[in-house]
Amino acid sequence: MKYNRKIVTVLVIMCVLFLSIFVYLTWFSLFRADDIKTSNYNRRLWEREDSVLRGTIFDRHGTELARSELVDGGQKRVYPYGSLYAHVIGYNTRSYGKTNLELAYNDYLLKTESIAEIIQYGMDGSQMKKGCDLVTTLDHGLMETAKASMKGRSGAVVALNPQTGEVLCLFSNPSFDPNEDALTKNWSELSTDESSPFLPRATKGLYPPGSTFKIAVAAEAIESGMEDYTVDDGGSVRIDGRIFRNAGGKEYGELTLARGFKLSSNVLFSQLGVELGAPRLKNAAERFLITKKIDFDIDTSASAWPYDGNMGKTDLASVGIGQGKLMTTPLNMALVAGTIANGGVMMKPYLVKSAVSPNGVTVYETAPEALATAIPEETAEKVAGYMLDCVESGTGTNARIRGVEVCGKTGTAQNEREGKDHAWFVGFAPKDDPQIAVAVIQEYSGGSGGSSCAPVARDIIAEWLE
Amino acid sequence: MGGILSRILTYIFVIIIYLFIYAIIRMIFLDIRAMNRKKSGSLAEAYLKLINLRRDLDFNMDESYELEDDEIIGRGNKCTLRLPDKYLSVRHCRIYKSDGSYFIEDLGSTNGTYLNGDELTDEAVELMDGDKISIGRLNFIFVMPKTEG
Amino acid sequence: MTSETSNIKPLIYIILLNLLGAALISIQYGGVNLEAVILTGAFCVVSIVSYVVVYVAELGDPYLFLIISVLGSVGCIMQTRIKPEYGIRQLKWFLLGTACYFVIMLGYRFLSRWLTKLLPLYLGLSLALFIATQVFGKTSHGAKNWIYVGGVSVQPSEVIRILFVLGLAVIFTAPMPEKLESKVKIKPRLLRLVTASAVTVVSAAFLLLQREWGITLLFFATYFFFLYVYGASRLYLALNGLAAAAVAVIGATKVSHIKVRVDTWLDPFADASGKGYQITQSLFAIGEGGMAGRGIGAGSVYFIPEVHSDFIFSAICEEMGVVGGLAILMLYFVLVYRGFKIALSCTNAYNKAVAFGISFILGLQTFIIIGGVIKLIPLTGITLPFVSYGGSSMLTTFAACGILQAISGMKEELTDEIQ
Repeated sequence: MKYNRKIVTVLVIMCVLFLSIFVYLTWFSLFRADDIKTSNYNRRLWEREDSVLRGTIFDRHGTELARSELVDGGQKRVYPYGSLYAHVIGYNTRSYGKTNLELAYNDYLLKTESIAEIIQYGMDGSQMKKGCDLVTTLDHGLMETAKASMKGRSGAVVALNPQTGEVLCLFSNPSFDPNEDALTKNWSELSTDESSPFLPRATKGLYPPGSTFKIAVAAEAIESGMEDYTVDDGGSVRIDGRIFRNAGGKEYGELTLARGFKLSSNVLFSQLGVELGAPRLKNAAERFLITKKIDFDIDTSASAWPYDGNMGKTDLASVGIGQGKLMTTPLNMALVAGTIANGGVMMKPYLVKSAVSPNGVTVYETAPEALATAIPEETAEKVAGYMLDCVESGTGTNARIRGVEVCGKTGTAQNEREGKDHAWFVGFAPKDDPQIAVAVIQEYSGGSGGSSCAPVARDIIAEWLE
Repeated sequence: MGGILSRILTYIFVIIIYLFIYAIIRMIFLDIRAMNRKKSGSLAEAYLKLINLRRDLDFNMDESYELEDDEIIGRGNKCTLRLPDKYLSVRHCRIYKSDGSYFIEDLGSTNGTYLNGDELTDEAVELMDGDKISIGRLNFIFVMPKTEG
Repeated sequence: MTSETSNIKPLIYIILLNLLGAALISIQYGGVNLEAVILTGAFCVVSIVSYVVVYVAELGDPYLFLIISVLGSVGCIMQTRIKPEYGIRQLKWFLLGTACYFVIMLGYRFLSRWLTKLLPLYLGLSLALFIATQVFGKTSHGAKNWIYVGGVSVQPSEVIRILFVLGLAVIFTAPMPEKLESKVKIKPRLLRLVTASAVTVVSAAFLLLQREWGITLLFFATYFFFLYVYGASRLYLALNGLAAAAVAVIGATKVSHIKVRVDTWLDPFADASGKGYQITQSLFAIGEGGMAGRGIGAGSVYFIPEVHSDFIFSAICEEMGVVGGLAILMLYFVLVYRGFKIALSCTNAYNKAVAFGISFILGLQTFIIIGGVIKLIPLTGITLPFVSYGGSSMLTTFAACGILQAISGMKEELTDEIQ
């Protein structure tokens, strides 16, 4: 029949429609479902909590960081260390939802035995089933040290193992008590508090990196064959009518890249920024994922590259010294230090080592994986050398530890508040077998990175290497 | 525990739906194959020519059916040549080629297979060009193309 | 249409499915569930009897009813799982639908000679139903689409869509009455196009008034593909496409009801507790189900709004997993494929057009609702044939498939012999 051909065409269109459902549904289930499920609007998140006792969260040595207790008619989440872990573990309340690890690992915390486990261990007779416990990579000792060293100042301390990506310390201040009673009592106060205690500074706080960005710029310069770049440092330089000064207006004279790095010369790095130009500067940031959102167990912020196309010379010079509009998170800067430490390979940071069922079966385990290869090993080696000099005899001497080769870079980032610079220190140690990479920031400290942050980093590194 | 048992039963449930779909698709596929046995233009092979008037039949038949080297004719879906006549058995008869000649044998059909009016017995009989084969309500002429030389 | 009584595998699967369903529901309600047992018995009996009747009486395609029966079983099991009363009521509708299926099938067979002459009836009845909806219609979920007849709610657009297909088929395939042809000085082809367009525009206008966006799309697409198959020029097709696109764009930007739907489709999480509530809850259900599902009776489908009707597919995905959902999708596909196959092998022009139209509507309706609840396309309220709860949907879909069954079983006129 003459119409058959066209009917077959319509049938083919119908096939395509059905196939699109097939493909979309499969894609959704495999790649989107896990993100969507954790929405606080998903009431199923709470449903299981009526029949399953939420798992405990431990630090790497077995210290309980969060546990659930049976109280009449339900369970109660207890955070023994109060505000210390609020920005890592988060909270778990009916009225305010779930955040951070409590949200991201809700499925595991409420996961009961699998079919295989029931076959192996038999049925558990108890009424209230138990969810899986989480073993985190955090070190409670380091968290306490960070808290003590920061002496109540606003900011963040991030420490991680550069070879694996395990996050050892993720401290943010100010914070809040995540226990439900306290949260209910303080909620309105907390949410209007001008110091933003709800902001997890370590992972979501965006700051100009200041001189710590010189690590990336120096790496980019080496990669661009400009290792031998030298300038005559007269204490300040005028670029397109704007003056770039060294801290304290110091004059260093003839400077190589290595010495300029060690002394954190703004004169050298502002001119180097202009010399490198926009595409390479952007590349410097992108190598270290500074403009990318980092895939992490809890939510992170990322700033986009803030310039479109044509950057003026002053913009180039500003970015060269880590000022300008480029922003990053403390976690990201710890990863930059970790990348240099790990021979140019950035490891994917993670917070949860494993999830273990009440029968002791490991149902989830994180394996270290590389996130990106930022720079070749030789380049990393050279930058590490600069960073070592910086701590040994440059701006970062406050981070020195007897008998340990500590590498680091200080930073002082100007911001909207005049005379209240953010202070930075990022670094790692020991140089030849790096065990820990750190990033420390103190907001509006007014001090320099060398004087206020380097000692905090030193305390953390010293404690970890002990 | 209810959850686990429900889950296992649901898996089986879904598997059965797939089996069902498979069974249906297979039947459809066999149907289409049976219907697509087109009379080929050249008819270089031996074939069966239907001599019933097609308008007299209440089901669809083709003019002619080309014969492969071994054909099981009947109503069942395991047959290589499926015909929709109700008076056929599931496996009715077999036509096969041996040493360049075609043979027909009855497969124990209920209503029998007739060659030029005679009912076939257990033995296979060689077919000659122009033989009349009757099965069920269907009548065919066996056509054997002239081999060259 | 050659099948064999010895091939009873599909029937065995149907019986197993229903037994498993009963077991699952009994587990859910913690004891042997009477409703589930009734369901199982009813479905097994109906499937076997129907299959044997279709086979022995040579009523055509033997697969149609089997596929419908599995869809019905899954639907009833899910309804019982949601609420046992629903399951029993759904079963009643299914049984009534089965009766309707065979009655319509026989009716169509016997009346087939006159069906092409009934165009005024189709159009008149449609118009009457549209007006009745407009006047007596009850509003539910923003759409004015229900009327109550003797205490039973009926969705007239469900009936109209069958009349629409029957009507379009007449318009496109029936020979022009000679009287008309001599009187009106226009070419028959043009006359067909104009009539079809006019009928569609009037229907679409009513549907839009009643805020039946999804069904408007259904009607328009059916009309459009009729134009395509029955040889409208490319220009005319393009014009129609453009007109529809213009209406869609204006609707999406100017009409707040449609705009809301498009917005919630693009970003349902922007207002997850308000306008995006339905779709986000549906996505949570599908997401929680994962690939394998949580088990029938073990999910939390009560969180899904309208779970027994529009969102039944989300519940299926939650409890039977995406793998189970795709199985259902394949069942629909095989059903639609059979419909198209019937249209293709049919030699009577009118019947071919009817079979094509019915199959197309069935397929597109399935796509629109499943695509909607999984957020592939904007959500519009249409029922999932044979599975969603509801009498008028069940009866009319059965009627439509009864027509397909009738067409598949009619002895062909062997027109190709007179070549």
